[in-house]
Amino acid sequence: MERAIEGLREFGAVLRRSSLYRTRPWGYAGQPDFVNAVVTLSTDLSPLDLLRALQALERRLGRVPGIRWGPRAIDLDILTYDDVQTSDAGLRLPHPHLYERAFVLVPLAEIDPAFARARDALDPVEVAGVAALGDTGAEPRVSPPAGGSLAAMSRDAHAADRIRRLAEFLAASDVVSLRIDREDTSVELGRRFGLAPVPASPAPDVRVDTIRADLVGIFRLARPAPVAGESFAADRELAHIEALGIRNPVHSLGGGRIVSIATGDGSPVEYGQPLFLLDRG
Amino acid sequence: MDRRSNTASRCSCSIEGNVIFRKVLIANRGEIAVRVERACRELGIATVAVFSEADRDSEHVARADEAFCVGPGPVARSYLNIPNIISTALITGCDAVHPGYGFLAENARFAEICGDHGLTFIGPRPEVIAAMGDKATAKRVMHEAGVATTPGTGIVANVDEARKAAGAIGYPVLIKATAGGGGKGMRVVEHEADLERAFASATAEAEASFKDGRVYLERLIANPRHIEIQVLGDEFGNVVQLGERDCSMQKPSHQKLIEESPAPHLSDRVRASLYEMAVRACRYVRYTNAGTLEFLCAGDEAYFMEMNTRIQVEHPVTEMVYDVDLVREQIRIAAGEPMSFEQRDIVPRGHAIECRINAEDANANFAPQCGTLTRLEFPKGPNVRVDTHMRTGTVIPPYYDSMLAKIVTFGASRPAAIELMERALSETVIEGVSTTVGVCLELLRTPEFQAGRYDIGFLPSYVKAIR
Repeated sequence: MERAIEGLREFGAVLRRSSLYRTRPWGYAGQPDFVNAVVTLSTDLSPLDLLRALQALERRLGRVPGIRWGPRAIDLDILTYDDVQTSDAGLRLPHPHLYERAFVLVPLAEIDPAFARARDALDPVEVAGVAALGDTGAEPRVSPPAGGSLAAMSRDAHAADRIRRLAEFLAASDVVSLRIDREDTSVELGRRFGLAPVPASPAPDVRVDTIRADLVGIFRLARPAPVAGESFAADRELAHIEALGIRNPVHSLGGGRIVSIATGDGSPVEYGQPLFLLDRG
Repeated sequence: MDRRSNTASRCSCSIEGNVIFRKVLIANRGEIAVRVERACRELGIATVAVFSEADRDSEHVARADEAFCVGPGPVARSYLNIPNIISTALITGCDAVHPGYGFLAENARFAEICGDHGLTFIGPRPEVIAAMGDKATAKRVMHEAGVATTPGTGIVANVDEARKAAGAIGYPVLIKATAGGGGKGMRVVEHEADLERAFASATAEAEASFKDGRVYLERLIANPRHIEIQVLGDEFGNVVQLGERDCSMQKPSHQKLIEESPAPHLSDRVRASLYEMAVRACRYVRYTNAGTLEFLCAGDEAYFMEMNTRIQVEHPVTEMVYDVDLVREQIRIAAGEPMSFEQRDIVPRGHAIECRINAEDANANFAPQCGTLTRLEFPKGPNVRVDTHMRTGTVIPPYYDSMLAKIVTFGASRPAAIELMERALSETVIEGVSTTVGVCLELLRTPEFQAGRYDIGFLPSYVKAIR
């Protein structure tokens, strides 16, 4: 692991790194434990170039292309790259399983508090299975639930936004309903489309993508307007964002089914605001 | 994004019956965004904050009437993202943009783009920003205005020209990049033998840093003090100076750490001449809004160095001594109002000192720190001002400058202001990152600071000596 992190320094500056976490193997039994860590890298490489560089580094560190989920020396993945979203065949960003895996979210939340909510929403049993190396007991080295941020939900300013982000998280997860009680605020979110809870891995092949605004402007649905539930096979222009008199198209980036339209027609949108949730399954 | 209902209930605001701005976009972050937001609130103007994803939970976002994310953490994609910032101003119905300091504050093109979209840029006219932003042009214009400039040259095209000019000025000379800043493209040349190599490396560094390799030469002023004059000009041709700030306590990187007003041991003759030159310069370029003329002073000599065409970090020092609100005046002036005072109305009183509290490790050459503030207690009490955007639990992201707070104290005399600052810094508790609180306290207690006898060489040599 240290050699891998050293190797990463060739591609840029390692700004932050998490502790090392030991995880019970996922997918296959009878394997040795995995060790996981997450780092923040500042790099000039584009996402695809970075992916190629990581693959080269994996090869150097002894991974051979082989069984998926099988034992290997090292596996290097890009979880997020700024706010880049791609669904290229070779590289999907953010990482499609980012929100499902405790061994990713626990170290990630350690170095980026923005992910603490997602981590705290995971199954506690799964979170407890990810223990920081050097810890003796079963206590995982995770900070307590993100009370600071959730407590702020009662404040009008961020409430809507936080709920929206929770809803988005929920839609992208296997969680069916979620209830949070804090001080004077209580939030309960449920999914309308009924997926039976799937307790065991591997996860079902439901992949919900969020299409986000990549600039500030006014959101306008395409005509005829797309509606929730609608499916399409290929790339399609769903909407556009009007900014500085320019019409900036919003594409579906491939086929899928619209789970929901997250922003009202004609509303102002900010950078990174979710516009559509698409089921790619 | 955040949209609160209190905007709708605001009436259009007016001063003496004239409607000024309804809504201002603050194109900045940190304490200065909070500072501008306060001034707007007092004037009854609604505010729109912009923020990066790293700043979502920031104080400036929480305080504004509306807030829009304009990009990810890195500044090039958020706080310097002109299209997203302008688009935010337009879709929220702003009539003006306050740039704060840093980021887009001295970007003439941004000021121009604001104007093109019917937004008032709260600052000087774009052509003045452009002229003052180019060091060689600024120096030429100031020279024309009759302001003393460091003996030196215009752009020198090649090393032969540089050698000839350096001989005439006299060694040691300084090679400076016309597009320069932060010491980039700057070289001290002690002897003629070193000139050729220094010229080549300064040119190359300037080219690499600013995509503009042009340099000029200046006489090196040994151990100067950095003294700057605060000015304000309005659209009616009124210009006032609001005295000086002594900013000689500078880190090895030339960033200021402690500022004070008035400057200790400045002779009446030099002080009067600095004031007179500052006002003359502003009239010459028909300067509007807030600005600062920086001078290097050594003995009885004072030379213009550069002009900052924006509000400065250390403006509270002047506000304390002159009992004015510079940001409020900036907004009024931009709205076409006359200044609310004339030169004869503003009389300095007492002494003010500012210490910059940065998340930096003073023992590691002031290396910036990031992390989470686990405990935070700022000083209170009479004549203590704290400008900050920090709260307990604030996460300091790696993308931005490391200033956490500015602590300013005011006293009837310099010793009283120093004493109060010692008390204020002793009360300050910041846990989670290393800060400059300790080093500021040490510096206040040095005999040199106590006596007011320090120049820009003091802190770098102090740092070297304690290591």
